[in-house]
Amino acid sequence: MKFTYQWLLQHLETEKSPEQIGDALTNLGLELENFTDYSSYSKFVVATIVDFKKHPNADRLNICQVDNGGEKQFQVICGAPNVKKGLKGIFATDGMYIPGTDITLKKGKIRGEISEGMMLSERELELSDDHDGIIEITNDFSNGTDAVTALGLNDPIFEIGITPNRGDCLGVRGIARDLAAKNIGKLKALDFNKINDLQFESPINWSIAKDNNNCDYVVSRYFKNVSNSKSPEWLQRRLLSIGLRPINALVDITNYITVDLGRPLHVFDADKVGNSLSMKLASAKDKILALDNKEYQLDATTTIIADEKNPLAIAGVIGGLESGCTETTKNVFLEVALFEPSKVAKVGRKLGINSDARYRFERGLDKAMVEEGLEYASFLINQICGGEVSKNISAGKLIFENIKILYEFNFFQKIIGIELSQEDQINILNKLSFKVEDVNDDNCLVTVPSWRNDIQKPIDLIEEIIRVYGYDNIKVSKPKSTSEELNNVKFSLNNKKNQIIKKLKRSLIANNYNEIITFSFHSSDAHKFLQGDKSLMLTNGISEEHAFMRNSMLYNHLEALEVNRKKGNKNLNIFEIGPIYNTSTSQENILFGLSSRLDLLNKKTPLPKYDFYSLTREVAIFLNTLNFDIKQFNINRAQNSHYHPGQSAELHMGKKLIARYGKVHPIILENFPKLSNSYSFEIYFENLPIDSMIRKNNIKIQESDFQYSEKDFSFIFSKDQNLYEVYRVLTGIDKKLIRQVEFFDEYLSPEIGEENKSITFKITIQSSEKTLDEKDLEQLHQNIIDKISNKFQAKLRS
Amino acid sequence: MDIQQVLKEAKKAIESCESQQQLQDVKVAYLGKKGKVTGLLKLLKDFTLEEKKSKGAEINSIKVELEELIDKEQAILKTKDINSKLSNEFIDISFPPSSQTEAKVHPISKTFDEVISIFASMGYSVAEGPDIESDFYNFTALNIPEDHPAREMQDTFYIEDKDDNDLPMVLRTHTSPVQIRTMINQKPPIKIIAPGRTYRCDSDATHSPMFHQVEGLFINESANMSDLKGTLIEFCEKFFEVQNLKVRFRPSYFPFTEPSAEMDIAYSIINNELRIGEGDKWLEILGCGMVNPVVLENCKIDSSNFQGFAFGVGLDRITMLKHGLKDIRAFFSGSINWTSKNGFGLGDY
Repeated sequence: MKFTYQWLLQHLETEKSPEQIGDALTNLGLELENFTDYSSYSKFVVATIVDFKKHPNADRLNICQVDNGGEKQFQVICGAPNVKKGLKGIFATDGMYIPGTDITLKKGKIRGEISEGMMLSERELELSDDHDGIIEITNDFSNGTDAVTALGLNDPIFEIGITPNRGDCLGVRGIARDLAAKNIGKLKALDFNKINDLQFESPINWSIAKDNNNCDYVVSRYFKNVSNSKSPEWLQRRLLSIGLRPINALVDITNYITVDLGRPLHVFDADKVGNSLSMKLASAKDKILALDNKEYQLDATTTIIADEKNPLAIAGVIGGLESGCTETTKNVFLEVALFEPSKVAKVGRKLGINSDARYRFERGLDKAMVEEGLEYASFLINQICGGEVSKNISAGKLIFENIKILYEFNFFQKIIGIELSQEDQINILNKLSFKVEDVNDDNCLVTVPSWRNDIQKPIDLIEEIIRVYGYDNIKVSKPKSTSEELNNVKFSLNNKKNQIIKKLKRSLIANNYNEIITFSFHSSDAHKFLQGDKSLMLTNGISEEHAFMRNSMLYNHLEALEVNRKKGNKNLNIFEIGPIYNTSTSQENILFGLSSRLDLLNKKTPLPKYDFYSLTREVAIFLNTLNFDIKQFNINRAQNSHYHPGQSAELHMGKKLIARYGKVHPIILENFPKLSNSYSFEIYFENLPIDSMIRKNNIKIQESDFQYSEKDFSFIFSKDQNLYEVYRVLTGIDKKLIRQVEFFDEYLSPEIGEENKSITFKITIQSSEKTLDEKDLEQLHQNIIDKISNKFQAKLRS
Repeated sequence: MDIQQVLKEAKKAIESCESQQQLQDVKVAYLGKKGKVTGLLKLLKDFTLEEKKSKGAEINSIKVELEELIDKEQAILKTKDINSKLSNEFIDISFPPSSQTEAKVHPISKTFDEVISIFASMGYSVAEGPDIESDFYNFTALNIPEDHPAREMQDTFYIEDKDDNDLPMVLRTHTSPVQIRTMINQKPPIKIIAPGRTYRCDSDATHSPMFHQVEGLFINESANMSDLKGTLIEFCEKFFEVQNLKVRFRPSYFPFTEPSAEMDIAYSIINNELRIGEGDKWLEILGCGMVNPVVLENCKIDSSNFQGFAFGVGLDRITMLKHGLKDIRAFFSGSINWTSKNGFGLGDY
């Protein structure tokens, strides 16, 4: 919401400076977002181009002689198309800072000709985006007059943010009212005269259709024989100062009142509409060409204003172009109505129209201001455009009741934490025009003014009182945390989970994986390649890049890796801990990592070869960080289209997926040909018991000083024998003596059978009680051979 | 027999040795079982006792002398061998390694960790909620009814799937739905924070369609706005590591809190560097307020017995401020170079 200082003073009698008012606005919750003060522009002056000729070396440039009212004339090279002899504009000379271009002028030559200054455009002064030519001053200012005076910039502009509850401050008058409550000044009475002799009956009638659910009341007047033209200068300047384009007096008056009182209203060219207007629901056949020059298809949820034949306006949202007022308009029909905020919001949102009217209607208007709006608009139309004014014609009923709230004074201290006397509370409420009655020691009855339809409950009154009293006066109290709270933190599973995530991240960076964060989205491409759930499509995604919710991080990470590769990065290891979505109600937070090894240029310091087993080692480390041993999980080949079927694995604990890792499927990597050697892993850490991940498992490995013995075994297994199972059986044979099992060789050969593999492992045997003798060892060896042979139909290889 | 001749020959042979192996050969040739010095001893049997004695002594002395010489030479040759081995193994120690920097975590991870631990010390436990929310949790329960202009404050992403009320599911526009989930499932007192991902369909230099927030909620019989002020000042002082932080609370509006406030912290720019906590310019840091009684009632909490406050902080924003980062879009660019430059390594995380 924009307004100027002078505009505000029209409603507020105050001695306060614009700066003080700005602070007060922010403290009231009307946040000052921008304050524009053009006083520094007084260094720029009015100057006339007394003569000009073509620049000898540049077709588009002219050499102008400029008179700024001083003793000498200046030579200015100017490229503006509107340069002409006698043009009066705004001149800046060297040394002056030009805000719109962020440049300080320096005397110099342009294509060989001296230039001693500049004639300015509106954009160069940041007055508008207009850069089609230099400013032309049509008024009678003499050369040397400062630009602030000449351009009427002696009026600082406020731009404030209005929160959705404060519809009452969408007019300058409402803002003045709030400032007055904060003791910033006194609210003035509205300065206009009611028109007393309403001479004739309006030839146009109103009706409100029964099925219409949007409009409660509408009132109008008919203006005969007006002469519409450009608005008077004060009105144009008001609109221009807040960025509105003046159109013609009738339209400008309605726009002005919209901002001044926060009361939108509409004028129809009475000769372009029928005699019988109604508020009714549109039909699916209706279309309207609106004032924004766009055609809108309507339907039966939309309330329109229509005559016998055509829709004329979308109620509370926007008027129609064809029935609007132009400079040739002779007869006018003014409409002032009340619309249902939520209906206006719905229609506006559906059609995508953000108009000043919708903005105000959907926040709720002051119902008591219908008449004020009607009278004020009549006054201005009559004053500016002349003509005769009809009696009122209306439809519907104007009903409103002021809300009454029973308010307990001690509620304030309970909520805010500071004391404020009954008198002070009442005083603030009164200043905000709340009526306070039936006051006793405990409570009172508060009547809410008509413009504050956001105030309905005692808590709303608390907010009003503290807002005016000042948030700065709230004391600072630091609540002590109780031991119960600290215990809750200590035992919170989510806090523990965050510790686990931190542990994991530390382990990842220690192992040379860089953390990245990618969007939770999938591009259309990613969705296609990774085959996600259709129900996860965003209905209003910004682009193809954000079309779905991701069901995997693989594609995002491949894309990230490719960008990094293109930037010349060779060390391509990344990870992310974040969500993936299987359906709209199933979200998992997982660790995802991707590693792609490129051939390094540097032959002298090669990286070790990276393959599935290197990846397995890393996954084992990360699981170990979580206090788990990879070999304790059930391992299977991954049944997942993202991975190479022969070089990928899944780990399960019971039915729960714990990890999936392997070489990325070549079909996916076809989109990333330079990353053909990529491996990824996913760890579903949320599926592991949290407490086990926090502290070390209670496996106590006793240190022993007795001699240890090592023995290698080679067994011939079936090729698809799961060796994690073999491992688990081996370690279970004698938990006291078998300290370590290390698989270290695989041998494949026709001589042992194509369907077999020979696996060699080393067993480390040590007792914590004695040095084992030959007999003990012999017995254990035989035990191992028997168990493995029987359990897995394996054969000891000699 | 010319003993001295043998000694002379042997000395010459020792001197001419160039390797430990040659020296070993010389040792065998003179002092070995079939060596020349040993051979001299064998010749003694043909001499008289007198001569045996004197010649024997002479032979023994040259044997000792030769042994010493060989030992000495042995030591020299050993040193020479090691030195030559070492000199063969000299490599170019100035050959630079492939460019490699320490891997790091994203600055947001650091912020998450700090925020969680600061609030943990103040008694706030971490709570969670899903990114894909129903209309009820994200809006209705938070006193943001359909068609309320407040919905326009936040540009919402919708997905195809519908919730139980047949309304489209939304990507949570704030972490506030976790307030609702917690209050519905837990009886007061409640003291939680909920950090996480949030989404709005907005994308430009200062907005990202995905960003991070942390929600805070404290409900008991008496938590009031003075407590809220103190809590947030304490948090900001700890997070920004500034004492006597200059802050400003100003009235604002959120449908789910009342009274509502926004908190600004003062800053100044000195030598092109942002200084947090002092100066006369203001930066908006967070939104907060007393939980609206309507919201408590929506969660079946009796608002005549319980009250409290809530707040929401933009985690990306405070991260940018604390570490002087400019562009939020870089947070999600996936750039390893960016993480290397702005992230935190093992020593700092």
